[in-house]
Amino acid sequence: MRRLFIFKNQFIKDPKSIPVSCFHCGDVCDDLTISAESKPFCCQGCKQVYLLLNENNLCNYYDLDKTPGLKAKGKFLSDRFAYLDDAATVQKLISFQSESQVNVHFSIPQMHCSSCIYLLENLHRIEPGVKKSQVNFQLKEVFVMYNPQETTLRKVVELLAFTGYEPYISLQDSTEKRVPAFNRTAVYRIGIAGFCFANIMMLSFPEYFSSGNIDERILKTTFNWINLALSIPVLLFSASGIFISAWKGLRQKFLNIDAPIALAIMVTFARSYYEIISGNGAGYLDSGTGIVFFMLIGRWFQNKTYDSFSFDRDYRAYFPLGVTVVDDGTEKNIPVTQLQKGNRIVVRNEEMIPADAVLMKGTANIDYSFVSGENTAVEKRRGELIYAGGKQMGSIIEMEVIKEPSQSYITQLWNNDIFTHKKNQEQSFIHPWSRYFTGVLLSVAAGTFIFWSFTDASRILPAVTAVLIVACPCSLLLSATFTYGNMLRIFGRNKLYLKNASVIEAMAKINTLVFDKTGTLTQTNTADVQYEGPPLSEKERSIIKTVTRQSSHPLSKIIAASIDTETEIPLTVSSFQEYSGKGFDAVVQDIPVRMGSAGFIKAGNTFITQDTGTAVHIVMDKVHLGKFSIKNQYRPGVAQMVHRLKKTGNQLFVLSGDNDSEQNKLNTLFGAGTPLRFNQSPQQKLDFIKGLQQEGKNVLMLGDGLNDAGALMQSQVGIAVSENSAQFSPASDAILDGSRVLLLDKFISFARAGKNIVLASFILSILYNIVGLSFAVQGILSPMIAAILMPASSISIVLFVSVISSFVARKKGL
Amino acid sequence: MQVEKFYYDNRIVKNFAYATILWGAVGMLAGLWIALQLVFPQMNITQYGSFGRLRPLHTNAVIFAFVGNGIFMGVYYSLQRLCKARMFSDKLSNIHFWGWQLIIVAAAITLPLGLSQGTEYAELIWPIDLAITVIWVVFGWNMFGTIIKRREKHLYVAIWFYIATFVTVAVLHIIRSGQLPYSWLQSYSWYSGVQDALVQWWYGHNAVAFFLTTPYLGLMYYFMPKAANRPVYSYKLSIIHFWSLIFLYIWAGPHHLLYTALPNWAQSLGVVFSVMLIFPSWGGMINGLLTLRGAWDRVRDDVILKFMVVAVTAYGMATFEGPMLSLKSVNAVAHYTDWIVAHVHVGALGWNGMLTFGVLYWLIPRIFKTNLYSKKLAANHFWLATLGILFYAIPMYWAGIQQSLMWKQFTEAGQLKYTFLETVTYMKPFYAMRSLGGTLYLIGVFIMFYNIYKTVKTGKLVANEEAEAAPMVKEYVKHTGEHWHRVIERKPIQFMIVSLVVILVGGIIELVPTFMIKSNVPTISSVTPYTPLELQGRDIYVREGCYVCHSQMIRPFRSETERYGEYSKAGEFVYDKPFQWGSKRTGPDLAREGTGNLKKSDGWHFRHFREPSSMSEGSIMPAYPFMIDQAIDTASTASKINAMRSLGVPYEKGYEQFANQELMTQANAVRINLKMEGIEVPANREVIALIAYMQRLGKDISNNKTATFNK
Amino acid sequence: MSALFVLIGISILVAGGFLAAFLWSARKGQFDDDYTPSVRMLFDDELNKVPATSTSKKITQTK
Repeated sequence: MRRLFIFKNQFIKDPKSIPVSCFHCGDVCDDLTISAESKPFCCQGCKQVYLLLNENNLCNYYDLDKTPGLKAKGKFLSDRFAYLDDAATVQKLISFQSESQVNVHFSIPQMHCSSCIYLLENLHRIEPGVKKSQVNFQLKEVFVMYNPQETTLRKVVELLAFTGYEPYISLQDSTEKRVPAFNRTAVYRIGIAGFCFANIMMLSFPEYFSSGNIDERILKTTFNWINLALSIPVLLFSASGIFISAWKGLRQKFLNIDAPIALAIMVTFARSYYEIISGNGAGYLDSGTGIVFFMLIGRWFQNKTYDSFSFDRDYRAYFPLGVTVVDDGTEKNIPVTQLQKGNRIVVRNEEMIPADAVLMKGTANIDYSFVSGENTAVEKRRGELIYAGGKQMGSIIEMEVIKEPSQSYITQLWNNDIFTHKKNQEQSFIHPWSRYFTGVLLSVAAGTFIFWSFTDASRILPAVTAVLIVACPCSLLLSATFTYGNMLRIFGRNKLYLKNASVIEAMAKINTLVFDKTGTLTQTNTADVQYEGPPLSEKERSIIKTVTRQSSHPLSKIIAASIDTETEIPLTVSSFQEYSGKGFDAVVQDIPVRMGSAGFIKAGNTFITQDTGTAVHIVMDKVHLGKFSIKNQYRPGVAQMVHRLKKTGNQLFVLSGDNDSEQNKLNTLFGAGTPLRFNQSPQQKLDFIKGLQQEGKNVLMLGDGLNDAGALMQSQVGIAVSENSAQFSPASDAILDGSRVLLLDKFISFARAGKNIVLASFILSILYNIVGLSFAVQGILSPMIAAILMPASSISIVLFVSVISSFVARKKGL
Repeated sequence: MQVEKFYYDNRIVKNFAYATILWGAVGMLAGLWIALQLVFPQMNITQYGSFGRLRPLHTNAVIFAFVGNGIFMGVYYSLQRLCKARMFSDKLSNIHFWGWQLIIVAAAITLPLGLSQGTEYAELIWPIDLAITVIWVVFGWNMFGTIIKRREKHLYVAIWFYIATFVTVAVLHIIRSGQLPYSWLQSYSWYSGVQDALVQWWYGHNAVAFFLTTPYLGLMYYFMPKAANRPVYSYKLSIIHFWSLIFLYIWAGPHHLLYTALPNWAQSLGVVFSVMLIFPSWGGMINGLLTLRGAWDRVRDDVILKFMVVAVTAYGMATFEGPMLSLKSVNAVAHYTDWIVAHVHVGALGWNGMLTFGVLYWLIPRIFKTNLYSKKLAANHFWLATLGILFYAIPMYWAGIQQSLMWKQFTEAGQLKYTFLETVTYMKPFYAMRSLGGTLYLIGVFIMFYNIYKTVKTGKLVANEEAEAAPMVKEYVKHTGEHWHRVIERKPIQFMIVSLVVILVGGIIELVPTFMIKSNVPTISSVTPYTPLELQGRDIYVREGCYVCHSQMIRPFRSETERYGEYSKAGEFVYDKPFQWGSKRTGPDLAREGTGNLKKSDGWHFRHFREPSSMSEGSIMPAYPFMIDQAIDTASTASKINAMRSLGVPYEKGYEQFANQELMTQANAVRINLKMEGIEVPANREVIALIAYMQRLGKDISNNKTATFNK
Repeated sequence: MSALFVLIGISILVAGGFLAAFLWSARKGQFDDDYTPSVRMLFDDELNKVPATSTSKKITQTK
């Protein structure tokens, strides 16, 4: 949403003008004539929304937060959501349906404040058909329940879209069932473990403080038995996960970290039960349950997920659900999945081309920003082939489908097998470690066994079990889980959202970086506008500003915004005629003005040459004044980052989907020796990465747009850049906010530091184990010592890694 | 399934609001009065106005009347809105309101009459205990009823705090009230001595926890965001805050009994859990304060937020101080002194008081659809209250520490430097300053009274406030897998009832063996049951609330054994129902009053009771001349003996028949002693019984030095 | 210390009760959303606000 109006903010250069901000969206108002009840609005859309809320007595919306509104898109074509009338489509979206009630969950990425929640939960005031609407802010989701007798899904969606909260409806979300927000079993496990641990701890105090001799025998035994009872659910329920994973590991002849832990837990509980039942001791249940509790906490902490993000979107996430087909003159809406080769489809303004098709009627002006990140629209003429994924800007067009959606240029990428096999699953390098660890552990136990069997056989059992108990590598596991958990948070703070912790380990190994040009190095939402030609007079400038403001075309908007006139001369536009995809004719105070593409202007002025980049020419009073050429703007500071990355011994590559018009610029940015490749098809990008990997390189790919999806998937770490988290991004291991691209080198070096932190904490925890063992091997490990050692080690390690990782992050400027 | 219109019940909120203001004023007035009594003992007017009887009145009025009504005000306002539903039943609401006020009135009558169980914060006699139980159930019924028919699926964290309050207070009250009536008004505690003490402080501490803290945390989590119009800093943290608090609080009790005859490990248990408590408590405080982050400018000109900020800060201070005080070394100094008094008043005046005021100023104008009559007056109230707290707390802290040091100070010769009386007279100026603080605070309350009165006049009560919401609906998400308590979990009420029943049944099962197995506190052969006269005397001791100023528990410190004699043993108290260890030493410890160098003649005691200052110059103890005229209630002797016997005190069968004869013979002996000291008084007077009890204190041990003591 | 049995028993039972409550609420999805409720509780009683007053509020609010 926001990306739409950053235009203006970018181009307010004149310090003299104090910007008036829109009462609804807080956006700067160019046109001060739009207002209602003495409140300024930046556009009719915002004003409309305000009036609607006001009339429904929902103005609390504006009290909760200042200018909470979202830049209204204004009036969208009335049949934009026509496909929602199709029963089949509706069925896909809703979660429940009855005579009088329909439940549906909408994902609304753009909700951002209390006011949003307020408005979205009061829909029923505006649309009585809505019975209940409940927001989940974390998931950026609203649950709507409406009465099908009184309203329709389409009406609801249109209302949402009108107020600026256009739900994000996609084929994918409709076909895949929704997963619960969080893992409740984990919560049960932690809850029970925590409860039992706390109470066992409590009931063990008498043991500690009276050093075993409580005044009252009966009291002591009671405590022990209660402990035993309390520990059972922990063993059977809370700890089950550990046992299962350990068992799985063993079955695959793989000794993972859970194996020794499981062993330790079993020994701890077994010995404790033996002592309690035989009545000669209190056992180590406090330590045992503590181990389980802390470990569960650790896991929970590490498995932080970013609810509102989706890391496994494919093309279906971008494509419209429904499409209008023309069947001998009659239009009807069908789900896009039923689209056949040869169908005739109608695509309206701002709608997406669902499949590769040939343009039959009208002129297309396709915005491929979803696909390539390229933000200036491309003009297409009748008979030309248009690839799926583009967005039509302008009037209605009609086209004939030549490939089914799933087979089209972009989407066939997903038939590649890399999309089926999973990567970066939890497979931490701590697991190999555990093999040695267990080896050492068992040999120590054996040693103890042998020693005591010669000296004092009665001490064998206590000593050996004690060894196995204290040597539990839970702190080993904790050190890794908490380090990575904390790092995930730090990355998140810097707007790099990782899929899971193992991505950090992958990132630490990176030695090769591949950039996609557009979107990552360039800023999608801004363009730098250059006027080429004889300087314009004040009058001309204000004329151009006036006329361009008439048009809704993105280019016109950019130009309008780029011109600042000292004095706002009120001009009357007597006629305005827009030719979509070409340009427009206008008459301002009897002066005919024509602006548009070279091709459009050519008529009459043969001297104009075709342009390389995107350009808009001006003809005023039949005289060609010059042209505005619009170029990508590169993020400031790219060069410096490139330099830093190279210094740290990374190899860089640039892949670009479009032509080489920018080659020189890129060369200066990346310096010589950085291979640049242009006109890369999605498949080529993917193969290129494969090639690098075959040379044994660890590749990190930075890209946005669908055409990078394959490459992102293929590379060890694929980072999707998006201008704002609300925007959709292709499947990836991480999502990075565009504004933070320049931190990339810092991210990588932080990831590398992470591994060292873990190693350091490993050593710390080993030390603890040695202390514990020194007691254990002598068979003098009292429950007290165990109970102190266990939490002490765990907690201190958690603190250690948290502090260190935060400190390192600060040092690296994250 | 349609959006429903319904009405919030504001009248009940208004009633509780008025009640809390009224009783607040009364309770604080009583507090001020007894504070002044410590400066001017002559203010102990008649037996009904003596310190020992009014102090329980003060504590009960402030805790159960002021804070109690404050809780209900807040709960009835917020619960309705959080549940998007009117209270379950107006009838129940009214029964709850009037019932509660009746209980308060009953308390206000019985306590000055000397009808007391002699256990702190649980003084009220058994009929009132029953009434409390009934009304509490009504409250719970009404609350859970509302929760069931709520329209908002999510239970806001405040509601959890309310639920916790209800459940735990119910349990605590029932356990503490375990008693055997011997008349239609009075009873003896089920438990005795050390056990009674343990039960008492398990109750006493948790009463603080679950009556003064959890409900007010609930109120904080509702009214603070409301007043600031911004969400709580971290809702996640508030959830963690609740659950961790719940699991820890219940066990902090024993820290009230450090260095007592309670087993060592039980004391340490209390310490550890008390210390742990600081984490959830501060979590809550930080969460509260950070809610206002970035809105501090608002705090500057919004008096309501000011009140709340001070309240939360006070909570933070008290919950930091609490764990510190429960550290053995600190406790050794602070216990029995006025430091504790300062500590609890920071909590009561700061946390409970200030939050209540803040809520009142926020809520009254809302339910009366008007604006506060005067922000200026409110601001004045705020400053008076804040100053009041400072003027109260600072002298008390200072005094408490000084007092403790003086108690413990020795001369080079190894003698105690100060007599107890010297320490008392030293305190007087501080007591005076404390009263000043109290006065300021009270004036503030009167200003609020006026301000709210004017506000109410300008507005009109919206008795039934219109609201609308869609009923709670099944979202039709099918559950995966069955769960063991699937059946009951469908409805929270069923669930809570079941768990409550489970708790109680479990409790009974636990209790039965308790009374079957003979208590195995190491018995001391020489410890014998009280004689009828001593028993009567002890009941007078309880009636007059002597325990609020005199402890009966000598801790194992040289400073105490020097002053009071051998430290107390668990075995000495096996026949004490209720225990009278006390928690404060405004006067000296009496555990060994009848023995050693503390022993005084009957005549001394007689004169002392008649006019304390005549025997000890500058004493601030009230005079008890009325005990010389009032006759011992011998009619009750038999039933008391029976009650005691059925509670395990070994009076042989049929003893009750000739108990009164023995009583008279012993009384006569005392009368003769007095006569020999030139005092003429009939043998059947209360003072005789009390003297007998005084002379008995500590005897058991001195009778037999070879007794086996437990460590 | 027989009273201890009572207290421990009760304490554990109470705690157990709350554990059950915890599980219940987790299961009922009470913890699924740990942000929105804190905002939702701020919305109420603007029903009796008439548009007139609300707009007059706006004006003061805009400056």
